[in-house]
Amino acid sequence: MSTIVQLQSITKVYGIGDIIVNALSGVDLTVNAGEYCSIMGTSGSGKSTMMNIIGCLDRPTAGRYYLDGIEVDTLADNELARIRNQKLGFVFQQFHLLSQLTAWENVMLPMIYAGVPVQERRDRAREALVRVGLEQRLQNKPTQLSGGQQQRVAIARAIVNRPVVLLADEPTGALDSTTTEEILDIFGELNASGMTVVMVTHEADVARRTHRIIWFKDGKVLESNLSPKDVALVSAG
Amino acid sequence: MDWLESGNMAVKTLTSNKLRTGLTMLGMIIGNASVIAMIGIGQGAQRLASEQFESLGPNVLFVTPGSQGARQRTTFLPRNLVWDDAKAIAAQVPSVASVAPQRQSQLSITYGGKNRTTLVMGTAPEYLVVRDFDVAKGRFINNVDLERNTRVAILGSEVAEQFFEGKDPIGSKIRIRNISFEVVGVLQPKGSFLGNNQDDAVYIPLTTSATSLTGRTSPFGLDLTFISISAINEASIPAAEFQITNLLRRRHKIINEDDFTVQTQKDILRIVGTITGGLTALLAAIAAVSLLVGGIGIMNIMLVSVSERTQEIGLRKAIGASEQDILMQFMIEAVMLSAAGGIVGTGVGIGGILLVAAFSPLQAVVSPLAITLAVTVSGTIGLVFGVFPARQAARLDPIVALRSA
Ligand SMILES: Nc1ncnc2c1ncn2[C@@H]1O[C@H](COP(=O)(O)OP(=O)(O)OP(=O)(O)O)[C@@H](O)[C@H]1O
Ligand SMILES: [Mg+2]
Repeated sequence: MSTIVQLQSITKVYGIGDIIVNALSGVDLTVNAGEYCSIMGTSGSGKSTMMNIIGCLDRPTAGRYYLDGIEVDTLADNELARIRNQKLGFVFQQFHLLSQLTAWENVMLPMIYAGVPVQERRDRAREALVRVGLEQRLQNKPTQLSGGQQQRVAIARAIVNRPVVLLADEPTGALDSTTTEEILDIFGELNASGMTVVMVTHEADVARRTHRIIWFKDGKVLESNLSPKDVALVSAG
Repeated sequence: MDWLESGNMAVKTLTSNKLRTGLTMLGMIIGNASVIAMIGIGQGAQRLASEQFESLGPNVLFVTPGSQGARQRTTFLPRNLVWDDAKAIAAQVPSVASVAPQRQSQLSITYGGKNRTTLVMGTAPEYLVVRDFDVAKGRFINNVDLERNTRVAILGSEVAEQFFEGKDPIGSKIRIRNISFEVVGVLQPKGSFLGNNQDDAVYIPLTTSATSLTGRTSPFGLDLTFISISAINEASIPAAEFQITNLLRRRHKIINEDDFTVQTQKDILRIVGTITGGLTALLAAIAAVSLLVGGIGIMNIMLVSVSERTQEIGLRKAIGASEQDILMQFMIEAVMLSAAGGIVGTGVGIGGILLVAAFSPLQAVVSPLAITLAVTVSGTIGLVFGVFPARQAARLDPIVALRSA
């Protein structure tokens, strides 16, 4: 089984001068292809910080990070942009769709930066939207879609460039419980078809649906391989 | 990402907020319109001036008393240019076709209770030929008038209209400086020359002017304020200028500085050209300032737009846009704004020129150079003033940008 994400002694220190925050203090973590993990932990424990580093949106202060066999912590900004475009899919709590574009155009966006030809772009974006069940909403602007539908567009956008890992930081944080279920169904289906998924969540019910739970505390991995049965343990602290 | 994609994206963004786009472009529109219109009007004025000079008469030269230097130093010109000089030029310079001596002053004219101060010109029959005037009614000054100092007057069309209001003035008596003159002719209208109404004048025999109105004031003979000369053809103008200068130097026994000035139409055209050219440059400079202000307006709005679209920029970066992609996107937006403003402004400017041409004697001159210049300059301004906001955008940290909800 191939390794997709490998973090070695990753630290992240915020603040220059008097106030120093050790957001991550020595994180070792490995995620293999096809895994479906959730990351849990108290607020401020460093989950988002780590997701941003895994997503190549941020750089670690120290440590090594291999993504799909490439050591990314040494890459230049331009190369990181390319990695984000080609190997990573990101889903945010706030959806972050561009309001002036239709659902279809939003999904095409990553392919524009990838230099995919127009026709292929349109076809692939449509396929991705079909996968998340939005074939009826291609021409709708984000304001004409419900929260759950917007998040599905965001998922389609995240998977359209066929990333090696799909990262989601509290993807259901802004959704009600029924919509949360729909989104989790989509993540489940994507994982079933081979997509590696890493998701941050506060909700035990969400974590329970993943296959592996990583427990974060004070910038460290407390437990890196809990099973869904152990969720109660994490929730209890 | 290629240019086409960036262009598409920019169009989408710009059309999604039409009011702002329009207002931002307004600065560039006004700037360009004023540059185009100002240069056009300036050039129209230049062209009008040169055409008017051509209307002075074919192949005309002028002799005036005083040197170029003296004309600049004092308002009292030496009265040493005399009728005999004019006669000598006519007799001795072979490249000259006709010579018209002139002495002119502003004098009060009365007729039937009406009073008017007008240019009164004492001259000779040749004036008609040299200055290309035509007689509408009656006759012009003839040699008998000159010999006998007759008190006859020929009216410019404007004067005739003012005093006689359509009635036939021939045979009537007008008073110039309280001296009675018989009207024997009326000239065809000629139009204004550099804002001077050439039809607002009264012509009398040169000799009568000296004896009855102003008196002789020069010790050298019958003094003149002006000699208009026509050369036999265009090619002989430089020769005529040279020969006249030589003749007058000899006659006036000049050792150092000339006490007269010979000017050709070209000389005068050049002076007028310098003046109108300077005027055009001034207008263009003022207009250019408004272009600059338009550019600063674009920068201002682009900066606002960057801070408003922080999240968008963060998202674009998160899904793989590089710094260059973001830079290019914002630069293209800025250039599109200013170039579109430039094109619309050019249209407005041309409209302005046509409007001015329709309501004034100025010709419509739409200069392709001015248009190319304005649009290029606007594009460049967009580029220059777009760089700063675009760099701000490109350098945004994606995490910070995404978090700014
Ligand atoms: N840009 C920053 N500058 C300074 N400190 C930061 C910055 N970003 C995060 N931190 C700090 O780093 C620590 C970890 O933050 P992080 O956002 O990773 O927590 P989290 O586990 O995602 O919390 P939550 O569950 O509330 O989202 C916190 O103490 C936070 O205050
Ligand atoms: Mg977080």
